[in-house]
Amino acid sequence: MTSDVMISASGLTKQFGSNRALDNVTFDVTRGEVVGFLGPNGAGKSTTMRVLTCFLAPTAGTATVHGFDVFEDPLAVRRSLGYLPQRAPLYSDMSVQEYLLFAAQVRGMDESTFKSRLSKVIEVCGLAQTLTKQIAHLSHGYRQRVGLGQALIHDPPILILDEPTSDLDPNEKAEVLRYIKDIGENRTILLSTHNLAEVEDSCARAIIVSKGRVVADGALDEIRSTTGRVRYVVAVDEKVAEGSHKPPSARELQGALDALKGVRGSKELPTDEKAHRFELSGAQDSDLRAELYRLMVQKGWTLLELRRDAQSLDAVFRELTRGDEELDRGRPVIDDDEDDDDSAENSDDKE
Amino acid sequence: MSPMMTIAKREFRSYFDSPLAYVVICLTFLLLGLAVFWVGGFWKVDRASVHLLFQYMPVALAMLIVPVVTMRSMAEEKRSGTLEMLITLPVKDSDVILGKYFGALGLVLILVLATALYPLAMFWAPWNLGPLDMGPVFSGYVGLVLFSCTAVAIGLLISSLTDSQAVAFFITFFVLVVLWFIGSAAEHVDKEWLANALMYVSFQSRLDGFSRGLIDTRDVIFFLSAMVLALVMAFRALERRRWV
Ligand SMILES: Nc1ncnc2c1ncn2[C@@H]1O[C@H](COP(=O)(O)OP(=O)(O)OP(=O)(O)O)[C@@H](O)[C@H]1O
Ligand SMILES: [Mg+2]
Repeated sequence: MTSDVMISASGLTKQFGSNRALDNVTFDVTRGEVVGFLGPNGAGKSTTMRVLTCFLAPTAGTATVHGFDVFEDPLAVRRSLGYLPQRAPLYSDMSVQEYLLFAAQVRGMDESTFKSRLSKVIEVCGLAQTLTKQIAHLSHGYRQRVGLGQALIHDPPILILDEPTSDLDPNEKAEVLRYIKDIGENRTILLSTHNLAEVEDSCARAIIVSKGRVVADGALDEIRSTTGRVRYVVAVDEKVAEGSHKPPSARELQGALDALKGVRGSKELPTDEKAHRFELSGAQDSDLRAELYRLMVQKGWTLLELRRDAQSLDAVFRELTRGDEELDRGRPVIDDDEDDDDSAENSDDKE
Repeated sequence: MSPMMTIAKREFRSYFDSPLAYVVICLTFLLLGLAVFWVGGFWKVDRASVHLLFQYMPVALAMLIVPVVTMRSMAEEKRSGTLEMLITLPVKDSDVILGKYFGALGLVLILVLATALYPLAMFWAPWNLGPLDMGPVFSGYVGLVLFSCTAVAIGLLISSLTDSQAVAFFITFFVLVVLWFIGSAAEHVDKEWLANALMYVSFQSRLDGFSRGLIDTRDVIFFLSAMVLALVMAFRALERRRWV
């Protein structure tokens, strides 16, 4: 193991009675990485984080944080960590400042360091006006800010944040993500979230878990391509055509598109009266744009739009974790490639 | 300051952030005053009233003070989830247990020592009943302090076994009351070994000597070992959490 591996989980399994919350979870996070930890509800994100912070012991497997084993040296692990548990449970009878001071004192921080760190934390977490308020009287979002402040107070090399932005308003969310990106340069951050746009903004890498298993792990681009498909959107004018050529009917167009080599499937998209729009999917490493252009020229059709993009993270997420979803809705699990209708539409406005 | 002391300080202060501590303190003084002066006779305050104090104070500790003070120590942390925040700071499990213990014990001991105001009032000012034999008073307080240490440890143990304050309160109440009165049951059993065993664990018979001016090492050791046992079990209960 190189010294740059800051978090390493290997074969983590956690059994709650008959319920297997984690099943052989293995991953490494190195210095300078900001990793998004994704998964549907109950996938095991919080459980993994609790194992890494030595709050729970795994049933099997080992983990090291900052080179320290979670079994053998839990104190050293916790010293190098800042951890924000889900829903930020705080002592409600303390004021914000008292709480932050408490966290700093337990960590053995001296007073002058505390003062300078406090001003930084106040700035990042936007706590200037709430410092003397009692935590019991804070709104949920402010509680989360305090929880985050508590995790940042000692400027730790490793941050583990369980849904750090779930209750924040957009301004504070942006500020926190900006800060995370900032400090992420030479620190290590593992953050769980349900907001995929957030991951695209602040993380270079994502780990997706589903039913206690890691189903994808890698750079965002890599993950987007795990389903092995590229999406094209083609729109053709349905009234006007070149010279003596006739504009195509929807069926004619679809037939022609399907006949192209490399097209794995096509689907009509809703449009106005003017054009037929189709979504095609093609293999990951192919590029159908030239073929499509030639088809248009040959038939004399008017091409209004042609776009190629990788599948959105959203769609990949849904595809990878579909088993969970189906079980939750009480449907039998079907292995079917052709859905993701709405997610495909959502991603239309993205790029 | 060590992590343990930081936790103890926070714990101690948190009692005063809620009306709980004030209510318990006032109630204790009120009931104790009533018991000592009313049962003993307000105009007949004499040396016997000090004896009454040592009779009633442990009962107040067992039935009210200790259950109320310890009920939330661990139970509330578990219910509200703050335990996760606390435990994932760089603290040892033993720091958490001892910090909680000393925080609660601090409050209880202040209450116990504050009851010394009664004998002071009677024999010094304003009653001025004359010189008092300080021996039994001193040993009586040693007994009360030892009893408090043990009772708080038991309360903390029970609080760390549940995540409901109410359950913790009632079980602690029940256990302490049983351990207090179990000695009286000894008179009604005919098997001698059973009677001896009951007398052996009875807090009441253990404290009896102290209030009469006798500090018996066996009694001291009994209280101290019961305290250590309860603390170790509370520590184990906290540790077990990781293995659910
Ligand atoms: N203390 C516990 N006792 C029993 N089962 C538990 C416990 N904690 C978690 N689980 C189970 O472990 C599984 C994973 O839970 P976990 O909290 O890690 O999910 P998550 O990925 O964080 O979900 P969410 O997005 O809802 O926060 C769930 O099936 C849950 O019921
Ligand atoms: Mg969670």
